[in-house]
Amino acid sequence: MSTVAQTPRDFNYIKPRKRRLSEYEAVSCYTQPDPNVFDRQGWYLLTAEGRAAWRPESTRLQHPHWFDFRDPSGLWQRYYVKLQAEQERSIERNVEDAAIAGTIHEFDAVWLNEIIGVHYRVWSFFEYGLFRAFSRAQREALSDTLGNALCFEAVDRIRHAQSTVLYLMELEAQIEGFKDHASKDHWLGDPIYQPLRKLVELLMATDDWAEIAFAVNLIIDPIATEVGVSRLIRYHGPAHGDPVTPMIILTTERDRRRNQAWTEELVRMTTAPELSSAESNRKVLGNWVERWTPLANAAAKAFAPVYERLPVRSGSIDEELAVANQAQTKILDGLGLGREGHR
Amino acid sequence: MRNLIEAHNRVKDFDWEPSYVEKTNWYPTKYKIPAKTKDPFRHLVRDYLSMEEEKDNRQYGSMEDALARGQASSKAEPRWMEIMKAVLPILNFGEYAAMKSTGQLIETIANAELRQGYLAQMLDEVRHTHQEAYLARYFAKHASDPEGFAQGFRLRGTNLFNRAGRAAFEAFFVGDPIEGALNLQVVAETAYTNPIFVALTEIAASNGDQVTPSVFLSIQSDESRHMANGYSTLAAVVSNPDNLPALQLDFDRAFWRQHAFIDPFVGAVWDYFQSNRTTCYLEKWREWIDADWIGSYIERLAPFGLKVPAGYEAARERVPWLGHTAAMVAYGAWPLQFWRFDPLTAKDMEWFEAKYPGWHGHYGNFWEEYRRRCDPRNGELALSLFPSLPPLCRVCQMPCVFPRIDISTVRIKEFAGKRHAFCSASCELFFDQEPQRYLGYTNYYELFDGYDLADFIVENGLLRADGKTLIAQPWLNQERMWTIDDIRAMRYEIRDPLRNQ
Repeated sequence: MSTVAQTPRDFNYIKPRKRRLSEYEAVSCYTQPDPNVFDRQGWYLLTAEGRAAWRPESTRLQHPHWFDFRDPSGLWQRYYVKLQAEQERSIERNVEDAAIAGTIHEFDAVWLNEIIGVHYRVWSFFEYGLFRAFSRAQREALSDTLGNALCFEAVDRIRHAQSTVLYLMELEAQIEGFKDHASKDHWLGDPIYQPLRKLVELLMATDDWAEIAFAVNLIIDPIATEVGVSRLIRYHGPAHGDPVTPMIILTTERDRRRNQAWTEELVRMTTAPELSSAESNRKVLGNWVERWTPLANAAAKAFAPVYERLPVRSGSIDEELAVANQAQTKILDGLGLGREGHR
Repeated sequence: MRNLIEAHNRVKDFDWEPSYVEKTNWYPTKYKIPAKTKDPFRHLVRDYLSMEEEKDNRQYGSMEDALARGQASSKAEPRWMEIMKAVLPILNFGEYAAMKSTGQLIETIANAELRQGYLAQMLDEVRHTHQEAYLARYFAKHASDPEGFAQGFRLRGTNLFNRAGRAAFEAFFVGDPIEGALNLQVVAETAYTNPIFVALTEIAASNGDQVTPSVFLSIQSDESRHMANGYSTLAAVVSNPDNLPALQLDFDRAFWRQHAFIDPFVGAVWDYFQSNRTTCYLEKWREWIDADWIGSYIERLAPFGLKVPAGYEAARERVPWLGHTAAMVAYGAWPLQFWRFDPLTAKDMEWFEAKYPGWHGHYGNFWEEYRRRCDPRNGELALSLFPSLPPLCRVCQMPCVFPRIDISTVRIKEFAGKRHAFCSASCELFFDQEPQRYLGYTNYYELFDGYDLADFIVENGLLRADGKTLIAQPWLNQERMWTIDDIRAMRYEIRDPLRNQ
């Protein structure tokens, strides 16, 4: 039958980003219904308070078709899980190898007890707070491709938090006298960490899924996480006999790069010159830069006493902050969101 | 060797009470949940990832390798393959809605044990969404007739049955998060995933479809964890007696909302789309829902104050007829669908009478007449066998024809200046309790009242690539397929039964 011979063999209602429809696009696009797309009757159920399944006002950014969003990583569940399973395996093996080789016993004592035992452990609470914020953000996002990217980031964050705990358990098992005290009291009361806790609590209270992603991936991670984890721990590890923790942090940096890339894509999509809302979106993004940059800097600056405790350190926290801010400004400049005047 | 219990205790100690911001009630709940309960199961993210990776490798590996090389999908019985076009898009929304439901449970339920369970489920649901979309695309590539597989996600929004599925699954996450968990985990997953993802694969396999079982059984291996989530959530809710009055009402509603769509739909899929006949849906319903879910699960919660849902007895009485009536409407309204239908043969009809004594007396004539109307040259539409299109239930969106057209429990009433139909006393009761929750959409007939059927088909993209043959067909005959000209010649007008009565 001729009609059968001509029939489409693919999801031709999805406009592919490249020449051919990718697996990522096929399994992700239009899995979220939308009254402005194929579900013109609207939502069949409202909550007792009168809200529908999704709300256009769930972000202050505006876009006529959120379904156009594509995560540059092209990750869907199968490859996301594969990637993270591989990362977790690499952590497990690194730690195991380091234990067998005795590397773990060569950690500097201050490094072990204060930097890893407290500072790095406290960071797991921050990551957990981000997990909470991103879990809600994925619930609210206005398209499937955005919801998936946010959901994967939520899982990234809980992975980071849990792998820190497991790592410290392994250190406990290997190093006599070392104990993971969980450091929750530091998280809750130590002045060093209060700006960081405030930061994540504000994120957990932010009613805008795009703002959460923008603030974390383009401002907070490049400034606070860069200084507090990448520079303070990853960079200084080897000088304190610790090549292991930096390997773990490198896996989180891989996630950070991916999350930064998709958030940059979100910014490009919402500020595309042909978009009628581009200018108002740019203002919204500018306000977010203004709101979150001082908070991220304050959180990072508060780590100064930790920095001071490093037995072997290069430069000062102010220098680290300046470098991180420069790099972060470059990211925003690349997106046409330079924050001159916002500081 | 890791101490798993200790690891669990530590990863559950992340929660704290924020002090820099006021607590926001993002998803209001009327329930009080204790801060500490039993663990639904013990999984660290690391173990979860490695387990799921292995399952994915097995499932996608077999689909890409042996099953594709053996052209498994093109050899399956066409009758069976056709209904997968309807099943996958709606099932997919169920998974997607579940992902949203778990996101709001993580936010709302301040209990570390439960949060651990919800977080794995959240990623599971992305997994299932992607598995089912992947399967639909796989069938679009490999099935003998890809029309319908290739467009299912585009067409589901205006499809009579898919839209009812969406209404049922919106209840997973539109409302009190605990009400969502009851709909999702306690009813849909614990009661219905066994028949859908396990038992239905027997039908698929015996009808030559070896691919669906690979996917569905892999999905079901996650569902058992979700059932544990449901049980733990329920146990946490019943542990506070103050929760019980609201819980029973929400549970009654959750059961009926899921039953009202799933039983007619799955019943029709099960019984009407198998060629090589095995079991019937009623047998499986009695095994999985009646004996297993009610008998071994819900009734055991009686000491805690939770009763069998109020509509359960009515549901049990209706179930023998629901699939047949749904099938009759689906077949009769075939031009509105996006899959092909295979009329029952005399042998099929014998099977129905044997499995459902009395079936012939209620449905036999319809099938005799239907067969005659399959050939467009006879100049009659199966739709003309009904005096009018059925009104759709304001609450569950199902056609108001159940349990059987001759004893339909339809009720119609006016509210806020408009007439509304309800399929049953239960749906009417839910509307009376909270009418505003069901008034946020435009009725199907309000959109299409007065349309010529041919215009409906064109506007909703229900034509094949040649631009004139319908995607849906009342039979599997490929020599004489219905075209838009055949439909236009019938001059059938879609009329809103509530407006034109």
